[in-house]
Amino acid sequence: MQSVEINKNEIGYKQENYEMFKRNNYYKRVRLVKRIVSHIVLIIFSIFAIFPIYYVFITSLNPIGSLGDATLKDLLPTAKASLYNYYSIIFRHPFLLWLRNTLFLTTTSTLIGLALAIISGLAFSRFRIPAKHALLYTLLILTLFPFTMLVIPFYFMFAELHLLNTFIGLIIPYSAFSLIYATYLIKTYVDNIPKDYEEAAQMDGLSRRGALFRILVPMAKPVIIFSLIIAFMGPYTDYALAGQFLTSPGKYTMAIGMYYISQGTITVNYGVYSAFAVLMGIPIFIVFFVFQKYLVSGFSLSTYK
Amino acid sequence: MEQGIKSFNLMDKIKGNPIVRKITNSRFYKKYEWKAIIYILPVLIVLAVLNFYPIAYTIYISFTNFNEVHFYRFVLVGFSNYAYVLSTSNLYTIIENTLVWSFGSTAVMVPAGFMLALIMNQRGLRGKYLYRSMFLFPWAFPAFITILVWSNMLAYNGGVINEIINVFGFRSIAWLTSPKYAMISLILVNFWLSFPYYTFVYTSAVQSIPSELYEAAEMDGYGSFKTLTGVTLPLLRRQIAFVTIFGFIFTWNNFYVPFLLTSGGPGISTQILITYSYLEAFSYDNFSLAAAYSVFSILILLVFVIIANHYSKMMQVVY
Repeated sequence: MQSVEINKNEIGYKQENYEMFKRNNYYKRVRLVKRIVSHIVLIIFSIFAIFPIYYVFITSLNPIGSLGDATLKDLLPTAKASLYNYYSIIFRHPFLLWLRNTLFLTTTSTLIGLALAIISGLAFSRFRIPAKHALLYTLLILTLFPFTMLVIPFYFMFAELHLLNTFIGLIIPYSAFSLIYATYLIKTYVDNIPKDYEEAAQMDGLSRRGALFRILVPMAKPVIIFSLIIAFMGPYTDYALAGQFLTSPGKYTMAIGMYYISQGTITVNYGVYSAFAVLMGIPIFIVFFVFQKYLVSGFSLSTYK
Repeated sequence: MEQGIKSFNLMDKIKGNPIVRKITNSRFYKKYEWKAIIYILPVLIVLAVLNFYPIAYTIYISFTNFNEVHFYRFVLVGFSNYAYVLSTSNLYTIIENTLVWSFGSTAVMVPAGFMLALIMNQRGLRGKYLYRSMFLFPWAFPAFITILVWSNMLAYNGGVINEIINVFGFRSIAWLTSPKYAMISLILVNFWLSFPYYTFVYTSAVQSIPSELYEAAEMDGYGSFKTLTGVTLPLLRRQIAFVTIFGFIFTWNNFYVPFLLTSGGPGISTQILITYSYLEAFSYDNFSLAAAYSVFSILILLVFVIIANHYSKMMQVVY
């Protein structure tokens, strides 16, 4: 009698085991299919993402007279591939002048904007400033306003101040925009840093201000670098403002040069044009690549708020 | 020396003044750190001089007849600019374009970004960092350049997209010069430009969910779809709303894609409010009409944002 029962139990156990095995196998197969689908989706998106960059890079190496001459054969490096287009854009066109103007404008306005943004971002986060929430809402709501609403008045304001066609006239709005944007980013990031660090530093004899700036600035490094990149990007590629403000060719930036080349005002070979695009894009791309990890950590959309 | 003593006395006098003392002892005064205003002074100046003043000025000139003819002597003309804008059929086409452009772009780029973030966040997925680096390309290359590159790729003659289509035996498509395809091309290019940004933002959001929650969901036998609807989406509700709504605003005000790809053409079939406003101002010197179009743009956008905020409570992410 007893032995029969044991036998039954054993059979039951085996059946359960078999079912578990089956279920496990099913899960494994589902997981495998999921993995394969994931990789296919990611590969398609990667090709989509990279193709235009590959295209402009490869056309910059091949000698192509105009866009109409371009064929599918140009998608692979041909025997005639050379760096001649790069030589041509650098030494036959005012590229170096445009580069100098652009770098001067971008670095000055980024540094001014960021330095002020660090101070005000920290203050917004840590001090009990009157009307703080109203101010922060205002900063957010200002993003609703189209910049054409600003460009037209700016044009007349700066004309009145005789700042049109000068670099100062552009540095002011550029650094102002990066100031607003970066203040907001730094404030939200610093909010997530616990106050214990500064309190400990104050115990060790630092003043409140000293504790804030000496402790929090190094801790906010990811968001500072993130805002630095974003702030650099704006003036570097700005056409809407610079195109209206700067009128003498000696003051053109790379973006204006690029626009005129693409519109045919300044005629160059198609290959040369591509070389210009690559040369203008590469510096920003390197910066992004080097600071890649800060791009994710710079956003501070934490879940529990 | 004497001056120093004098000023010291002056400060003492001010502090001793009964009215001043009453203010400084009030609870309202003590609630705030008034000296900290110095730190945010640059922000306040920028807001006043470079934001509020220009916006007020734009609203003001939208009520005047400020244009090429009345460049130096313009007068207030009341609502006649708005009446004129409302009477032209252009406005309705442009608003429709703006709606198609903003909703169309947001509807493809936000879900795609979220999906990619979820896919990339799977545990033990190989090559995650390689894919991430690939996705960096559209974001890292300045949009100004890549839009112009796309405009060459989509060109009717010699554009690489048409060349590829021809290989498969289809006829070339006028991507940018036919009213039928122009808006689709704009949304496609905008999708290429912005999906990496949304992937990165949502990756950051998804990673902020503690892994214990996922483990608990797995213990309870949740499948991946149930985990998504039961754990990820409810937790990230506000973040998703915030990013989507600000993505919508950004697209609404995105100037470069339509301006550089089609500059509103053919006709006005891809003209959106902001590019049309820029065109009115700097091509036709019709500054008052341009201002009126800007005001229309902001009013419509404001209505959308207020409605969206009412339902999603997304502003709570900020605090």
